[in-house]
Amino acid sequence: MPKTPLIQFKNIVKEYDSKESSEEQVKVLNDVSFSVDKGEFVFLVGPSGAGKSTLVKILIREEVPNAGEVIFDGEDVLSIPQDQISDLRRRIGVVFQDFKLLNSKNVFENVAVALEVTDCPKEVLNDVVPNVLSMVGMTKDMYKFPEQLSGGEKQRAVIARALAHEPDVLIADEPTGNIDPEATTQIMEILKKINDLGTTVIMATHDQHIVNRSKRRVVRLEDGVVISDKKEGKYE
Amino acid sequence: MSNTWSSISNLLKREKLLFSLNITVLTVTFLLLGTLVSLIVFGRATLKSLESQAQITIFFKDGFGEENILNLQTRLESDERIQAVKYISKEEAYKIFAELNKDEPLLLDSISADILPASLEIRANNIKNLEPLSEEFKTIDGVEEVKFFKDVVERFKTFARILYIVGLSLVGVFILISFAVISTTIRTAITAKGEEIAIQHLVGASESYIKTPLIFQGMFFGLVAAFLASILLNAASLFLHFGVNLFGKGALFSIGGLQINMVAYGIILSFLLILSGWVLGTLSSYFAVKKYLGR
Repeated sequence: MPKTPLIQFKNIVKEYDSKESSEEQVKVLNDVSFSVDKGEFVFLVGPSGAGKSTLVKILIREEVPNAGEVIFDGEDVLSIPQDQISDLRRRIGVVFQDFKLLNSKNVFENVAVALEVTDCPKEVLNDVVPNVLSMVGMTKDMYKFPEQLSGGEKQRAVIARALAHEPDVLIADEPTGNIDPEATTQIMEILKKINDLGTTVIMATHDQHIVNRSKRRVVRLEDGVVISDKKEGKYE
Repeated sequence: MSNTWSSISNLLKREKLLFSLNITVLTVTFLLLGTLVSLIVFGRATLKSLESQAQITIFFKDGFGEENILNLQTRLESDERIQAVKYISKEEAYKIFAELNKDEPLLLDSISADILPASLEIRANNIKNLEPLSEEFKTIDGVEEVKFFKDVVERFKTFARILYIVGLSLVGVFILISFAVISTTIRTAITAKGEEIAIQHLVGASESYIKTPLIFQGMFFGLVAAFLASILLNAASLFLHFGVNLFGKGALFSIGGLQINMVAYGIILSFLLILSGWVLGTLSSYFAVKKYLGR
């Protein structure tokens, strides 16, 4: 029996109004098709503006493509009713380059936000949050506020938040873009560990060293088009 | 629900000044709203009372005779347009005159009951009947003069109509002000929480999780302001009632036969104000959420 992919992008086209003229359209994604199986670790690579972040936004329905189809675990993402998008997002953990942490909340509270929005009981929340923070090595920093953390620590807190729902897939959009090499190595180790535990990981990056060292599947985007898709690929 | 209360308590803690200003503006708005409603209600009640007291007085010629007057009284009492008829004899007229002029003995000495006319005091059911009735009475033999309060009642009626129109317009304006104040407050809350709301969306918060606390915030503002306004209005009306006895004792007016006194009126007004605070708060915050957080 053939394996059903967890995520399928089929002929995705996304256009935006040009900055110069609202009548002109700029094509950010042009007929993008590829799929990701359960448990895979996939690098989505390409230069800035290649369309990597747009693809991530389309998967979590933050953006809607002009054409194409997105299937997540057998369900058409684009036809999910507005009031059920939250269910989709609880199954997809997202890590952003700019962290998106609330400065008024400490690390514990920032991670807890992901569970609070599901009206999770306090007892469960008090059990889950320390667990995910220990997974990313942030137990001792759980009562620190974002401004007291380094870039790498902030990113680990964001990964913990993304893991709180035990998502099927973790998407990291340029997670090492704002952190130093040592922290980058730590983040990569955490992402590999998460993948080893069975969670599918998609990482958008333009960092060649990380990709080449990891020897994982590499989908390369350029000017909105998939130009290569290789198992244990390299980013040259 | 805990999300809603924590959201409101966070707003109270973080935005004390904004919260106080909004509550003050809304309380003043509801206070004016309540005052205007009261003015309209009391104006209409006073008019109704004046209308029910609308009287025609028929003065009779000396030679007409008491028997004829009493016969006429009996006939008029069966007229549907007439509520009550009271006979004032020459002697009773003198008693009234003497009471009114008790400080002027010289005047009283020069006047006897004989020179005062006997009269019938007629209370009409409706102010509209005053003029046709008085015209009819003038044609009766033995009638010397017919007097009625047409001008006073008509003037008050015009005044009450103006009060009603201006009052209702102002109530409309104040409702719009309240709507704008609550909507702006919710918009401010949405702007202040913009990043938090964006993050909540990304980590899987449902629309209702994000929107419900904001709608409850508006409802809370409306309820608190209406509650404060009703306390102040009740305190003021109880002072006018018991302190300076402005409205006298007993019922102010009746609704469908039910006598409403000042305390009952205060309870009804409070209930209406709190209900309108709740409706206004909910509607205006719902509007703001739909407009500024629509997806």
